[in-house]
Order: sequence, then C-alpha cells, then structure tokens
Amino acid sequence: MKKKGAKLILLIMIFTLSLSFLAGVVSRAEGTDTSSANAGSAGRRVSDYNGKRVGVLAGTMNDTFVIKALPDAKLSYYNNISDMIAALEADKVDSIAGDEPVFSMAASENDRLEILDESLQDYDLGAIFPKTQKGEKLLSEFNEFIAKLKASGELDEIFMKWKTGPEEKKTLPDYSNFPAPNGIITMATEGSYPPLDYFRGTEIVGVEVDLAARFCEAYGYGLMIDAMNFDGVLASAQTGKADFGLACITISEERKESVNFSIPYYKSSAKLMILKNNAGAGSNVSPGSDNSFLRSIGESFEKTFVREERWKLFLEGVLTTLVITLLAMLFGTILGFLIFMLCRNKNPVANIITRIFMWLIQGMPAVVLLMVLYFIVFGSVSISGVAVSVIGFTLIFGAAVFGLLKMGVGTIDRGQYEAAYALGYSNTRTFFRIILPQALYHVLPAYKGEVVSLIKATAIVGYIAVQDLTKMGDIVRSRTYEAFFPLIAVTIIYFALEVLIGRIISRLSININPKRRKPSKILKGVNTNDQN
Amino acid sequence: MIRIEHLKKEYPNVTPLKDVTVEINDGDVISIIGPSGTGKSTLLRCINQLEKPTSGKIFVDGLEITDPKCDINKVRRKMGMVFQSFNLFGHKTIIENIMLAPMDLLGKSKQEAYDTGMKLLRTVGLAEKALNYPDELSGGQKQRIAIARTLAMDPDVILLDEPTSALDPTMVGEVQAVIRDLAKTGKTMMIVTHEMNFAKAISNRVFYMENGGIYEDGSPEQIFDNPKRENTRRFVRRLKVLELNIESRDYDFIGMQGQIEVWCAKNQISPNYSNRIQLVFEETTNLLIPLLKTPKVQAVCEYSSETELAVWTFSYAGEKVDITKTEDEISLSVIKGLAGSIDYEWAENEELQNCLKLNIRSEGIVS
Repeated sequence: MKKKGAKLILLIMIFTLSLSFLAGVVSRAEGTDTSSANAGSAGRRVSDYNGKRVGVLAGTMNDTFVIKALPDAKLSYYNNISDMIAALEADKVDSIAGDEPVFSMAASENDRLEILDESLQDYDLGAIFPKTQKGEKLLSEFNEFIAKLKASGELDEIFMKWKTGPEEKKTLPDYSNFPAPNGIITMATEGSYPPLDYFRGTEIVGVEVDLAARFCEAYGYGLMIDAMNFDGVLASAQTGKADFGLACITISEERKESVNFSIPYYKSSAKLMILKNNAGAGSNVSPGSDNSFLRSIGESFEKTFVREERWKLFLEGVLTTLVITLLAMLFGTILGFLIFMLCRNKNPVANIITRIFMWLIQGMPAVVLLMVLYFIVFGSVSISGVAVSVIGFTLIFGAAVFGLLKMGVGTIDRGQYEAAYALGYSNTRTFFRIILPQALYHVLPAYKGEVVSLIKATAIVGYIAVQDLTKMGDIVRSRTYEAFFPLIAVTIIYFALEVLIGRIISRLSININPKRRKPSKILKGVNTNDQN
Repeated sequence: MIRIEHLKKEYPNVTPLKDVTVEINDGDVISIIGPSGTGKSTLLRCINQLEKPTSGKIFVDGLEITDPKCDINKVRRKMGMVFQSFNLFGHKTIIENIMLAPMDLLGKSKQEAYDTGMKLLRTVGLAEKALNYPDELSGGQKQRIAIARTLAMDPDVILLDEPTSALDPTMVGEVQAVIRDLAKTGKTMMIVTHEMNFAKAISNRVFYMENGGIYEDGSPEQIFDNPKRENTRRFVRRLKVLELNIESRDYDFIGMQGQIEVWCAKNQISPNYSNRIQLVFEETTNLLIPLLKTPKVQAVCEYSSETELAVWTFSYAGEKVDITKTEDEISLSVIKGLAGSIDYEWAENEELQNCLKLNIRSEGIVS
C-alpha cells in the first residue's frame, strides 16, 4: 500500500516536471515567434529601446547607465547574467544591458543573441580593496603591478587570450601552490561572468583570476578565491571579509566612499543585447525532424553535466547543501530542545529571552539573517560561509523545533503528569519517561515537514559565498546560457534529497511509535512462563 | 497516620478548602461524600501535594510533608492515587504501565516487576490484557489497571478520586468489586465518591464535606442512618430544599408561589404533586399569618427524590400558635386532605419556637 503510494507520487512528480519543462520549451518557441514577428531590420539603435523593457543586473551600475541613455525604459533587475538572458529569450524584456566583454562572450556562445554596436556608456573596471591599513598596502602593490603590465603590453595579451583564444589555451598560473611568504589573501569574485571570472569545471578561471594569480606570484602572496553573488563581493571587500574584490566592478564616485579602487585594468562599456531576428530561430529549429525535442534534451544534458565535467559542480553543490542541511538539522534540534528544556518550568527570564529570540529569528527573512550574521556579526572573524550558513539555519531550525516541541508537549494530557507525580516520579523524570515519548510521536510528521523546508531554504546561501546546489546551478547556467535544463536538473536533485531525508525520518518515526514494537521486545529478558 | 492541621486551599476566585483539621488513622477506610464543589477532591490532592495548600500543615507518620524541604517524591511512593480519568500511560502496554514505576523508582529488576505485575493483573482479572495498550481497553478495565499500577508500588495509603465517576454505569460494578476487595486488606484508604451505598458498604468512617470543610465525620451508620446534622441528613436522603421567609403581613405571595413552581419544575416534581405543594403553602399561610402579631416565618419544603415525597416545615417566632385549633374548618380540612396529618411542636429554647410539619401525600382528595 505504502510502496504503491510512493510510486504514484513519484509518477505525478515526473509528470509535473516534464510538463513544466515542456512549458519552458514552448514558451521559448513563443518568445522566438514574437521577437521574430516584431523584429525590424538589423542594425537597431540604442534609442529604439527607450520606453521598452530593459533587464539589468542588480548591484551593478548598469541601471544608472540605462536611465541616463534611455530615460523612459522600464527596468527589471536580475541576479545573474543567465537569468537575464533567459528573460530576454522568454520575451520578459526587450533588451538587456551589461558589460561588453561578458556580452560578447555570451553572444559568441549563443547565436540567438546580438549586441548593439552603440554603447550606453564607457567606464573603467577596477579592483576594490577595504579601507584598512592592510587594504591600502595591497592597493598600492596592485596599482604598481597593473601599471607594469600596461606598460609592457601584457595586460592586452591577457585580455586577448581569455576573450578570443580556444578554451584549452586559456591557462592560469597554478596559484594553489604559491609559496606565500607574505601570507594568503582572499579574493571575492562572482564566478559567473565569463570571460572575466567564471567556472570551468570546478575551477574558477578568467581574466580577473589570471590577474590576481600573477599579482600574487609577483608579490609573494598565496591566493584564495571566494565566489559569491555580486552584492556579496562589494560587501565582502567593504567589511574586510575578503582582502580584495575583482568582479567586473565599475569605478564610481559613490562606491569610492566605501571601498578603495585600484587604477583601471580595463576600459569597458555598457552595451545593450537583444535577440537576433529570424536568423536565430532558423538555426535553432531543425525543420521536419521528429526527434528534435529529444535531441535538444540530449544536447542540454551534455552541456549541463558532461562538458568540462560539470557534474562535479553539481556533486559539490549537493554535498554542500547536504552538509548545511544535516548539520543545521542536528544542531537546530539540539538547540530547540535545550531552549525548550530551559523554558519548560516557566522560568520568567528564560521565557522572555526565548520570546525575543523567536521574534527575531522568525520575523527576519532567512536571507537577511544570513547576511547579518556573515557581514555584521561575524564580519571581522575569519569564518567560512558554510559555517555561517550552518549557524544561521541552526537558529532558524532551532526556533522551529522549539515551536514543535511546545506544541507536541502541549497536546499531552495534564493527567499523564499527575499520574507520574503521584507514583513518585520527579518533574524531570516525568518529562523524559512519560511525556516526551508521547509528544515526539505527535511531533514527528511536522518535524519532517520542517526538514523539507530547511533543505529548500538553504538555497539562499549563495548570498554569502557558499556554493550550494542552487548556486552551482546558477554557475552552470552562466556558462551554458541555458535557463531551463539546469534549473530543472537542480529541482529534480532537490526532490531526490527531500525524498531521501524524508525516508530517513519516516524510518525514525516508525521506531518511535511505541505501538510498532514487537511484543517479544517489550518483555525481553523476562521469564513469562511463571504462572504463580 | 495522617494528621491535617488547618488546611486551606485558595484560588484567585474560589476557596475550595477553608479550614480542615482531621486525623486519619492507619487502616481507616474513609469515604468522602458531599455536594460537588465542596473541596472533596482538593482535600485528596492536597494530601499527596498534587495541589500545594495555601496554608496549614499535613503530617504523614510524623513527617511534615507541607515543609518545602520535604522530598515529596519519596512520600508519594508510599501514597498511591487513583484518578477519575485513569491516566494510564498511553505509550506503554498494560504490563509496562504496572512495571514502570517499580523498576524506575524502587530499583526492582524487570523479572521482579513483571512477576508482581502479573500477580496484580490476575487479582484485578486482566492478566490476558498484559500486552494490550490502554486505548484498547474499556473504561472499567482501564480503572482496574490503574488500581493495579498503584498497588505495584505497595503503598501504605491509597487515595481514590471519584474512581467510578467517569464510567459507564455497566462498568461501575467491576471497579467497585476491586476496591471492595482492596478495602479488606487493611490498607489505609480515602475514597471520594458519589455512590453512597458503596461508601456505606466499604468504609469504616465517612466524611461529609460541605462548604470547604468536613461538616460531619462519623461511622457509616451514623452518617447514613442517623446523621447528627441537618445538612448531612438532607444530603444522604437526597433532599431538595426550598426555603422561603415571610417577614410581614404584606409578603409577596404571588412571587413565592412562582418560586415554588420553578423549584418543583427544576426538581422534576410531577405537575400534580407540585400543585399540592403549592396548595398546602397557600392554605397554611392563609391560616397562619393572620394569627401572628409580628409574622416571622421560615417555610422550608424538603423533597426527597428517593421517596418522591415532600415535607413542608413552617417555623415561626412568637407565642404558641397552633393552627389546628383554628375555627376556619374549611381551610383546615383542605390542609388535612392534602397533608394527612399536621404535627405541631413548641420548643421554648429555639429562636423560632413554633414548628409545624406537614407531610404531603401523593394521593387523596384535592378540593
């Protein structure tokens, strides 16, 4: 009965997923249709997009550039390039604004995209350093280094290599083995901005990584690289969580108030990218072929998992997600339990503290809590994002467990306490021997639900430089420029994780159900034949 | 031996125990009876400290258990309690319910606990249910298990708080049989109950409680057959009482008639009999009031739901006035027709010296 139910649910799950996938493909096709229908001639101009919908990357300066050039444009903000491109392809926006080197890379990979020649704005890219003594020293060394590269023409060579060369020629100095006599420094970057910074397989590469590695080699530093969302790069360098940030950052006066900028290492410009006219549609759909759908799935699969051994990224992401979930579950359960024990006897101080704790934790969006922990509470401490995630979700899960326990114990009849007290049980013993075993059984189904939401909730840890499953999906998308397949792959992996953990807890709840015990176990070690 | 001194229990809005001082001897089997809300259960729960008394002291074998320094858990091990709602541990089998406390608290081995447990289960007749769970049992069976669980600790005192009140009438007997056997073993027992015949049969001492105190304390014969005090008598005879006071010649006759009617309806007295009760009141007051110089009359009607008969008692102050000596023959014959007889007594020392008693017949001529 139970097996059948599980199979049915799995079937429904697969059905729903394939439906959503199909919907994705269809909407893509529609997007192509509309864009080809209303697309005019080639050689459009920037001013044509005034009053149209324009996508920009959140946290960058592109929005100000767009507003300046196209005052009537309607802006939509996205978290990464691949989301933006997906939105463009799905006709959610008419054009997207972004940095020239990144866009030309994307256009060379995806032949449905086209960059307008005209720039919105020219600007300089610079590295950012915290306004600390150490930061200032590093800054002057870096400036010296960049100036030298510029003078020798090496800088242009590096850019040419990463922008145009074949992938196997794009090599880096092996920075993991630098001797590091002057200590190890941490670089914050985004990792989804090819060719400046991106993942190749499990390794972060790109112009900026190349620059950083050469710099460290020349100045005797060891290099560590943290990949995070763009917002996180700025915050990390500002708070000193990272020693410097290199992530295609536009030099601006406003940003100079919070961080120090190096001299420019690249002259870039903001461009508008649009969907190509009919040309793109023609090359994408092979006419008259029945298995084109299956083939496109096969291609997507190859791109997402096999190429550059990207499955390793997913595996790493799954492991990170699992580690955060399981540790938060373990510590959160312990924390919730401890708090409950402190509050159980109506201690007024413990109760007030707990109420404030619950109010804070449950009232704050998880993402805000994580950022506060990472950038403020542990701002000056060297602590990994995974550890902060575990702490954050331990607090969140602990609050949930506390609530569950309170509810579960509340369902136990007052008479159970009185019967135990009347037999001579102490308060504590009554709780552990009589009350808790009955309460746990009530609590477990809800606990399972909390764990499933915990797994899903961990998807936000990308904000604090943790590469979990979701973030890895984003990283892969930023390379393949495919929106749907990696998303669905990530979804399926989440489902699998939820089923797995749900199973484990279900097993636990069978063990905890006193009525499922075998009679032989109840009276184990007792001679029951004696009829006296 | 348990000694209770000036025990008081107060809640913010009620005071179930006002002042209780009593001594309970070893081997006493005490039934506690009385109307609901008079502190019977509270008294029992104070004795094993499930309720903390507001003031007063309780001594068990000379040890003051109301002392905060006293280890109450130890005292409770020697003082079993059986609850109205059984309170068996739902996550344990029947035999485990019985074995749990001796193993956890008395350090008995599993085998020992099992053997005692099975012995007790046989005495309460439920050995075959050893591996069932409480929710698979009927109420009567659950209560028998609860008694066995209490006995497994071998207590000196057993407190039973309305052990049969939550039971289906068909199951009361089986539980009472177990308690009856228990009462013969010589253990000190206190049992709060509403079953008066049962209380009379098993106990050697009865507390009648009223208004937060022990109103009358005596042998079952005294309490049930010859109660010394008025309220005890009313309670054990299951009398419903209506009291009306007349303090002037212009008393509210219509209002009082209404009161009588409502009271009769409330106590499910048949309309016919209710009519008789009202008629007797009407005729008697008509006769009596004009004869009194300054009327001060207390009219009490007592109705026994057992015999379904009512008695009117008119007590009044002043000189001797006997309505049977009146000239109003018609009224008198009406009263006599309804009441059969009129008993008149004069007591010099009472506040209301005259006392007139009329037993109302259920049959007879109503004119």
